[in-house]
Amino acid sequence: MEDEIFEQRTDLSKLNNAVEQIKAALAHIIVGQHHAIDLILAGLLADGHILIEGVPGVAKTLTAKLIAKAIDARYSRIQFTPDLMPSDVLGTSVFNPKNSEFEFRRGPIFGNIILIDEINRSPAKTQSALFEVMEERQVTIDGTTYKMDEPFIVLATQNPIEQEGTYRLPEAQLDRFIFKIEIKYPTLEEEISIITRQHQQNPTDQLSHIKPVLSTQDIISLRQQVKGLHVEPKLLEFTAKIIHETRNNKSLYLGGSPRASLAIINAAKAMAAIKGRDFITPDDIIGVAAPVLRHRIMLTPDKEMEGVTPDEVVAQIIQKIEVPR
Amino acid sequence: MLRYLFLTCFSLLVSLTAGLAAPAKQVKVKMLIKTDSSAISVRHFDSATLNQYRAKKEFHFTKDSYVEESLWDRFWTWLRNLFRLKNKQGAGELFNIIIKYGFIVLGLAALIFLIFKLIGVDAFNVIKGRSASAPLLHDESVEDIYTINFDAEVEKAVNQQNYRFAVRLMYLRVLKQLSDAGQIHWELNKTNSIYVNELTNAEQRLAFKLLTRQFEYIWYGELIIDAAAFKKINALFDGFKIKMA
Repeated sequence: MEDEIFEQRTDLSKLNNAVEQIKAALAHIIVGQHHAIDLILAGLLADGHILIEGVPGVAKTLTAKLIAKAIDARYSRIQFTPDLMPSDVLGTSVFNPKNSEFEFRRGPIFGNIILIDEINRSPAKTQSALFEVMEERQVTIDGTTYKMDEPFIVLATQNPIEQEGTYRLPEAQLDRFIFKIEIKYPTLEEEISIITRQHQQNPTDQLSHIKPVLSTQDIISLRQQVKGLHVEPKLLEFTAKIIHETRNNKSLYLGGSPRASLAIINAAKAMAAIKGRDFITPDDIIGVAAPVLRHRIMLTPDKEMEGVTPDEVVAQIIQKIEVPR
Repeated sequence: MLRYLFLTCFSLLVSLTAGLAAPAKQVKVKMLIKTDSSAISVRHFDSATLNQYRAKKEFHFTKDSYVEESLWDRFWTWLRNLFRLKNKQGAGELFNIIIKYGFIVLGLAALIFLIFKLIGVDAFNVIKGRSASAPLLHDESVEDIYTINFDAEVEKAVNQQNYRFAVRLMYLRVLKQLSDAGQIHWELNKTNSIYVNELTNAEQRLAFKLLTRQFEYIWYGELIIDAAAFKKINALFDGFKIKMA
């Protein structure tokens, strides 16, 4: 920054260049959704899994596919259906008649970037297959543990729970996603722009515009850089107060977990890095609080009846806490 | 046997013939009047019992010609008069129906409201379809910008070469000055960026944005600054003070 008195202590130029390139490439195809794209990139840099929610047709899967394509890594896609079995995701032991032994055949979860489309169309039995791999980055089958390659990112899309044929994801699984990003309908201007750009275009051609910007090694090193950003102790306290308040708030019967506190700090660091800062501010924390907490906190039934949203409760909680300065 | 039967029939015939032929003679029968000479004792209804029955509502078969109107009746009369329905029979009935069902609706609404209250739901918010914005209390503030003697504290921090803390105090002083000037609305839960956006003067906003960035870099970024760097920062604050004036 030219108006900066001090030099940056951490060189974030590579990270910022990569982010700008990805955003520019995505902007050719995705209209608007800037905040959602920032959050997805922050999630990637913060070593988190991302849940993208939206009604059908708002480019959730396309956004996830484009992000995956911008990273030169092993990509696999799993379409979650009601009859999907855990072994269809993780893999299974198959008998090999040649040597009369069982061999483990890896499932589609073995990859770097896993796009799980419509994750909430499978029941809890299949979802539980993801618990170990999402948190511990490993799969244990028949007593053998298989480690995932780094980076390991789950990008999942889902329709709102009110939609037909969907299941509510288990709380334990939701807690494993760093963000739940809500993709809303485009504005009128954005809608016109989408139609103008794409009415003569073949949908499959869209992906060809995206070239890999980051390698897996780049992702690993950028994540290390993000991890090392400065966090003033008062801001840790500020985050802890927010999470603590979710556990005592009358509108909620399930508050944030310690994993949520860590997710806020890691996500705030990633957002600060995207903005070119090597330290976080209260604005970064407040900015990521809702996407980090909205799928983790559970409203009491009466608040749900009143039509209160988790985002509103988070905003009320933040309003209650003094900003450290 | 036949002889007896003949005699009986003959005597009957004779008596009948005699009855038809001759007019009936008046026979004076001497009436015998029996008199009751026993002593008569007059019986009366027990007045206490009568009074007891009189007092019972069930035995009042006639309407009182005048019943004093109660306050409730007066209220209804007044209400009817208000709507000019007193003497219009049809309209009066309609009014009664409206009132009757109105009370039923009100009663149901009160019942639903009570149920919502019991289960802890804000019924008004359900109707409005939006969430309640509960008033939230602030945590205890560590410092109050209105009670700090900034000049003395900044001087003290500079003398102790605690330049980072001095910058923080200087920034808080600017916030206080902006608040005093009515350019920002000071609240503990607001972030610096909110204050930046509250400034309406574009030049001031730009200068304050730069000042905020430096403060955040030093304070949140935990940057240890020396006297030379503090001098530069101090100059920035002085410059902003001039812009504010």
